[in-house]
Amino acid sequence: MQQDIQLINQVFEIGQKIEQEQLAAKFERNFNKIYTLFEEEGLHCINPLGEKYSESRTDCEASIVGAGGRNMKITKVIKPIVYRQQQGQMVLIQKGIVIVE
Amino acid sequence: MKSINFGIDLGTTNSLITKYENGKVTIFKNPVGHKDTLASVVAFRPDRTLVGDKARELLTKDPINIFANFKRRMGTDDKFYVVSLDENVTPIELSTLVLKELKQFIYSGEQAEAAVITIPASFDTMQSNATKKAGMAAGFEEVVLLQEPIAASLAYFNSRELADDKEGYWLVYDLGGGTFDIALMRIHEGEMKVVDHEGNNFLGGADFDFGIIEQIIVPYINEHFEIENFEQELRSRNGRYESLFYELIYKSEEAKKELSHQGQTTIEFDLSHEGTRHNVAVPVSRAQFEDTINLRVQETLKMLLDILHRNKVQAGDIEEILMVGGSTYIPFVRQQLQAATGIAVNSAIDPTTAVAIGAAYYAANKYYQPKNNNIVLGQNVDDLLNSLTTGEDGVDEAYSDWEPAAVQLKVSYSKMSKDVEEVLIIKAEGALDSKSYRIIRSDGGFDTGFVPLRSKFTEFLPLLPNINNTFYLRVYDEDQNEIRSAMEEISITHGQFNISGQPLPQDICIEVDDKDNHTTKLELIFEKNSILPQKRTLYREISKTIKQGSEEQLIINIMEGDRFARPLSNLVIACIVISGKDLSSDLIKGSDIELHISMSDNRELHTEVFLVMTQQEFKNVFSMSEKQVNVDRLKEQYIDLENEIRNSIKMFSTDENDVWAIQANDFLKELAQNKAELFKLQESDRTDAKYVIAEMLNRISKAYDKLGGEDRLERLRYEYFEAKEFCENHMAMVDFRKEELVQKFQKLIAGEHHVLISRNPSILEKATEKINDLGWDIHWNTLSYLISRYEGFKGLSPDQFTNYSGVQAIIKSADAALQGEKYYEFRQHVYNITHLLVHNDYKVKNEDFKGTGIG
Repeated sequence: MQQDIQLINQVFEIGQKIEQEQLAAKFERNFNKIYTLFEEEGLHCINPLGEKYSESRTDCEASIVGAGGRNMKITKVIKPIVYRQQQGQMVLIQKGIVIVE
Repeated sequence: MKSINFGIDLGTTNSLITKYENGKVTIFKNPVGHKDTLASVVAFRPDRTLVGDKARELLTKDPINIFANFKRRMGTDDKFYVVSLDENVTPIELSTLVLKELKQFIYSGEQAEAAVITIPASFDTMQSNATKKAGMAAGFEEVVLLQEPIAASLAYFNSRELADDKEGYWLVYDLGGGTFDIALMRIHEGEMKVVDHEGNNFLGGADFDFGIIEQIIVPYINEHFEIENFEQELRSRNGRYESLFYELIYKSEEAKKELSHQGQTTIEFDLSHEGTRHNVAVPVSRAQFEDTINLRVQETLKMLLDILHRNKVQAGDIEEILMVGGSTYIPFVRQQLQAATGIAVNSAIDPTTAVAIGAAYYAANKYYQPKNNNIVLGQNVDDLLNSLTTGEDGVDEAYSDWEPAAVQLKVSYSKMSKDVEEVLIIKAEGALDSKSYRIIRSDGGFDTGFVPLRSKFTEFLPLLPNINNTFYLRVYDEDQNEIRSAMEEISITHGQFNISGQPLPQDICIEVDDKDNHTTKLELIFEKNSILPQKRTLYREISKTIKQGSEEQLIINIMEGDRFARPLSNLVIACIVISGKDLSSDLIKGSDIELHISMSDNRELHTEVFLVMTQQEFKNVFSMSEKQVNVDRLKEQYIDLENEIRNSIKMFSTDENDVWAIQANDFLKELAQNKAELFKLQESDRTDAKYVIAEMLNRISKAYDKLGGEDRLERLRYEYFEAKEFCENHMAMVDFRKEELVQKFQKLIAGEHHVLISRNPSILEKATEKINDLGWDIHWNTLSYLISRYEGFKGLSPDQFTNYSGVQAIIKSADAALQGEKYYEFRQHVYNITHLLVHNDYKVKNEDFKGTGIG
């Protein structure tokens, strides 16, 4: 796996831990800056938590909890979605690893 | 005849497609998600058909409509009843869908007419024929089958140089995600074949992941938390910990991969128990992991030894074991094989793609007769002649096959959107029965799968923010072959209102320091014509140290106008001054500053300045009705403009452009009239004087930019090209630092487009000046030039040097260096002489440059 994606995954994981400790507000500025820096390098990181899920969403690899159905939501994000912007086009380079309920 | 070239690994769990071309094999990636592999799973959902990873996701949720592992049933008369379709599908039909999906991976748009498809060594005639049938149904005119162990061996043999007389036995050990196969191979008298094989269709990497959960994580939780029936709640559908189970499956697989190259890892997750959330970190060592997989690995070893025993082949007769399948990455598997058999283990090829790569190598040497006789570039000459001798009849026949598209689509959608998704309305006409459509977003993040075509329908298309989203709408016939004439490209730009919002009439920029040129420049915040509201965060560095309590200032000037113009020609719409007196501690040069800038619909500007070092925040709101002028900055801008006009007058005089020189001189005079008043102004001044002077400066700056009109711009462009041509012509002769200079040149001309379209002379002048500077750099790094200059220096009179005796000493050393061909040393001596020259810098620069403090 490319090192820049691994780096994004680590930053994302740190962010999640901080959120659990309810310290997110304290680090918001730092995270915003880090993600802005990634964007300047053409890497766009998306956290799809809480978004609607359907089987036509190919930007995520989902594990579906319960019976599944029409109104599914992403309830946990293990890895974020990462796109790379090159020559004005976006290319999906990491699918989000998510739990859907 | 044409060579087949395409290879397909039609696997139990995953499939791949490859192509041989010019001695290389390309693995085609899935356009949806860009993975090499496609999950061999088909889902018949109530409203659509999905093939691949998305289908696999739903496997446990909708098992009656989703089919995996059908490869195991090939060649049987098994039929699967699909509840949602109320009909039966055969393993051949399912394989056909997978093969058709693989054909979509070929991004070149080329039609794969024939393919080599791999089959397990264990496949009998019925199973083999079934695979061939699936291939033909997928639209291949010719299908050649190849046994997987042979394919893997070919991939290996083609990856290294081999002696021609290769003879002997070897083993192909294939441990994949869900299946295990072992094959005994032999090359005898130049022929490669599978001697014997053995396998287990329910043994693979997925079992190893599950082993970590069952044997390491569950005991750990039971030991540290008292949770009743934890394992049951974890493993059962709708259990309390079902969500955690999926997370652990993923994390166990990650841990397994990590343990392939490190001795220890940790599986971290959250566990809710009795209303409390616990962060659990389970340490897993490689030894522990190996314990969990040991039994299964021994099982594969037993099969390996059985096969040898059965065929009366000694381990010593086997040259090596070729490793195939993702699970052979695990070092323990390799060690155990080596230890138990003493046979060398070979992991030289990528175990996940080896079979598909081998298939492509095989396909390169297999030929077929294409059915249509259209002349294609690159066909061999005989084919070309044959097709020509068939005469015009052939051509007519080809035309008579042409029919207008069976389906016509009318699509309507909004080309611009601010929403997260946009509705697409499609009307279809023609014979729609049994036809389906599919929409894919070009980045791979959205795919509807195959959906039955109706006369009128809608799809909600999700949009990625602030970018042009391209979707492809394709229509397929009843056999899921694409009807090419019906393809539609749909382009929706996100981030712009469909109904025009208020656009910005001018660029909004911030003034930042350009220390190299002792001046300031503009950096774009919001582009002209972007739709309000807008917001942006800028990250910059402080470019000078500001001591706490001092009078030094940080000036944040936000301006409206042309981003390519000099700051002075723009209108200041917001000015924030932070002086040393406002600071809670010293602000050191190089520390970070963050600027959050937003502009509302009614053009109210909000700024938030955050100084990271002092952790201070300054918030301001500006309405466009007030002018903002900072006196210190105004003084500096004055000097800047004065210098620039002076330099231009000198240039105009040199070029004998007297009319322009006179006009510029008038500007200079007008500036001078206000100089005294400006320089006695204080920041605290309450009169209108600063506004009057700012207005005057802005006016002169704009007028000066317009001086000479198109003629001046033309002339400046000509000068720019002349300077550029000079660099291009002389670059070849450079003897020192060539790579660096070439890079510098490329960097300079990279932004050329903006320079050349600019109607602002100062931008053209500055760009030309930079290229000219580089031109001098090129000269001073060219030996022939250095020698001629050096000879020139030697002939100068003593009064043209600041220290003539010093120069004499350097000349002596330089002569010696030149004599001894020590050119680097010689260059240094010549440089030293230039420092001792008395010369007049004709350019006027503001050496006491303070700037804005923002770098």
